[in-house]
Amino acid sequence: MRKLLTGNEAVAEGIIEAGVEVVSGYPGTPSTEVILTLLPLVKELGIHIEWSVNEKVAAEIAAGAAWAGKRALTTMKMSGVNVAADSLASIAYSGCTGGLVIFVADDPGAHAGMPEQDSRYYAKSLVIPMLDLASQQECLDYVKLALEISEKIGGPVFLRSTTEVSHAASNIETGKKLKLEKKEAHFTRDIAKYTKAGSTWCMAQHQEALNRSVLALKVADNYVTESGIKVNETHFEPDSPCGVIYAGAVEGNFREALKRYQLKISWLKIGMVHPLPEERIKEFLAKVDRVLILEELDPIIEKEVLRLASPGDGEKKVKILGKLGHLLPLTGNYSFKQVKNALEVLLDTKLEAEPDPQLLQRAKELEVKRPTSFCVGCPHRGTYFALNQAIKNLKYKKGEIIITGDIGCTILGMNQPFESCWTEVAMGASIGLAQGFKWAGIEKPVVATIGDSTFFHAGIPPLINAVYQQVPLTVIILDNGWTAMTGFEENPGTIPLKEVNRTRVDIAEVCRGCGVEQVNTVDPYRPEEAIKAIMESLEYPKVSVIVSRRECALQAKRRRVKLPQRQVDIEKCTGCRICLNTLACPAMVFHPKEENNKPYMEITADCFGCGLCAFTCPTGAIEVIKDGE
Amino acid sequence: MENNFYLIGVGGQGVISLGQILADYALEEGERVKFFKEVGMAQRGGPAHSEVRMGEVFGSRIPPLSADLVVVMELAEGLKTLELVKPGGMVILNKKKIYPLDLMVHPEKYPKEEEIAYLFEEAGARLFWIDAGEIANEVGLPLAENIVLLGVITYLASLDKEIILAVLKKNIPYEVEKNMAAFDRGYKIAEENIAEKEKGEA
Ligand code: SF4
Ligand code: SF4
Repeated sequence: MRKLLTGNEAVAEGIIEAGVEVVSGYPGTPSTEVILTLLPLVKELGIHIEWSVNEKVAAEIAAGAAWAGKRALTTMKMSGVNVAADSLASIAYSGCTGGLVIFVADDPGAHAGMPEQDSRYYAKSLVIPMLDLASQQECLDYVKLALEISEKIGGPVFLRSTTEVSHAASNIETGKKLKLEKKEAHFTRDIAKYTKAGSTWCMAQHQEALNRSVLALKVADNYVTESGIKVNETHFEPDSPCGVIYAGAVEGNFREALKRYQLKISWLKIGMVHPLPEERIKEFLAKVDRVLILEELDPIIEKEVLRLASPGDGEKKVKILGKLGHLLPLTGNYSFKQVKNALEVLLDTKLEAEPDPQLLQRAKELEVKRPTSFCVGCPHRGTYFALNQAIKNLKYKKGEIIITGDIGCTILGMNQPFESCWTEVAMGASIGLAQGFKWAGIEKPVVATIGDSTFFHAGIPPLINAVYQQVPLTVIILDNGWTAMTGFEENPGTIPLKEVNRTRVDIAEVCRGCGVEQVNTVDPYRPEEAIKAIMESLEYPKVSVIVSRRECALQAKRRRVKLPQRQVDIEKCTGCRICLNTLACPAMVFHPKEENNKPYMEITADCFGCGLCAFTCPTGAIEVIKDGE
Repeated sequence: MENNFYLIGVGGQGVISLGQILADYALEEGERVKFFKEVGMAQRGGPAHSEVRMGEVFGSRIPPLSADLVVVMELAEGLKTLELVKPGGMVILNKKKIYPLDLMVHPEKYPKEEEIAYLFEEAGARLFWIDAGEIANEVGLPLAENIVLLGVITYLASLDKEIILAVLKKNIPYEVEKNMAAFDRGYKIAEENIAEKEKGEA
């Protein structure tokens, strides 16, 4: 059937067609939609799908299922592989009996922020074969292929995507649901395979993992998928001395250029990026004089091609173009223009004129910057407002107190108008980093802010550390009940929906259980209470935790929670903009003097009724809209 | 043959759902489709854009100088598309201005309509101005700003009206009457202002 699917939706379709029985993951752009697509179908499919507490746990769950003989898949963004890598290394050494696939989505161009790291390195270091996705059709086809390879070689397989492939959609052909034999879950005890006790076993396992990789390439190199895609494919154009070797998302722009400029050049597409098809590459190099390598991020393929191209005695020398000669950048995803320009160098000819740079320059100058801020009614607005106010009340100057931020919506506290957070490192890192500042000798209070899901993910060990080491620290957990930034996924602190079986874990109780003696729960919609608690915490001699708890406004709105909206009494409003400058709620619109006789603030119908603005207004101009108005 | 649509605006304006309708339309028409959506921080007031490519296309992003139709839902955001407009291509400029915090206080810093128009004209674009927000308010559904524009697009790009309307009903099954009214208003305004032969290839 023909369907319009994004890459991630196609992966989900592949998971269904391939008969995967256990799917786990942790949300992270650009990987999140795979599980988001599957979750509503969980009953119908009769399989287990979960948002795990972090990527490491997710990978372990998938591995456990695969060790019991089932098909399993785990999803994460590139940063998540760092978290899961510890377990993945051991799992890869042991191998598996059921099919095990690790889906990782990289983000060249850092569209969602975070380091652009190239997860292809992990394939090599963890000894796990890796397929690199170039199109949405491959997203579907390669899930099946990856599972097939995994079962054939008896080890896990990486399936790597990038934002460009995961978030774009195209029409693809869906296939048939595989009819797999129903297998009982079964795990055979074999400590030589499944434990790491002693060098003999470890080295033997290492060798087996290396052997499996070789085998994986054998399966993939000449493989043609159901829809006709060749995993590794060589195309020779006998009359051209030029060739292109490419992998991954660049395929779209490369093929676009081939068609647009009717180029007749040879090309080699690499679908399995670890291990690389060395024989195929050598064969290709023998028939061309100049080669352009198209791969995003690090020059991994380029370096290998260079090695394979170094001529022996009497062999011809092939010119390799790519990142190492600075033709293409090491950062970002390749635009069509970059691919076109590189092809122009390869072919030593101009392909197409470019837009007038002066016009573009002028347009760039005029562009309007849109710093992102909290949503209308966002509870984090209240927390950062209270934090800034508490700092002020204790007579510290703005910018005197170090506030470490963390991953997720909560980091928006770094932007205007709050400008609270100073750092963003990795999941849970705000709490560890803050302790380092204290030990370095920072005498003023240090504050860590972190969201609920981020706290569960990796914030608990550093909190325990702070308790044990007796570090005076204020940890503010902004608990909005959802993993909101990535698209409102559940986490252990989410109030469970009726139809699912979950046991909610209370963050305040977790903190007490970790040994924190002072734990205060406040409501960020009640700033007075929050300010008081934060002030107390800043002066407390040990680690103390503030749980600032209020449901994400967007989720509350979806659940049809209704709070009394606010309006401005134009008579009382002096147009001082204190409300706007301290809170920047998107429901506020300022009308400057020109428009009317006097400047004033308007609160639009978008208002969620958090009430914070009323708290900031010095003239009491902001009031509750009375019923019937 | 290919047809490239570039839609740009600010989160909440319906840029993505508009793109989704066009992409679903192309699928219905049996065309090859590429649909890209920039979701990023759109929900939190950031920019949003989507690209719909129909026909013999491979990349999901529109190459420079190749957009047959650019739809600018928020005026200043349109400045980002100058590189993409195909000379002779059509640009729909919606008069909506959404001010970020600092411009709310200094609205005079927002780029002038004339300057934006000048740049597009220099790039060889043909312009179509509309106040879709106003029309959406008039039909009683402020959220239907993008649907007014869908009407304009349908006429200007000579899309099959029946199919577009069927897709619209499927994608937005609520407020059907008001959405239809919004669509019709957009379609008619385009029809009244641009003669059939002036529509161009888009
Ligand atoms: S703080 Fe009060 S007086 Fe000042 S602009 Fe806002 S509503 Fe008007
Ligand atoms: S009450 Fe004030 S701050 Fe809260 S959502 Fe409404 S306008 Fe925004």
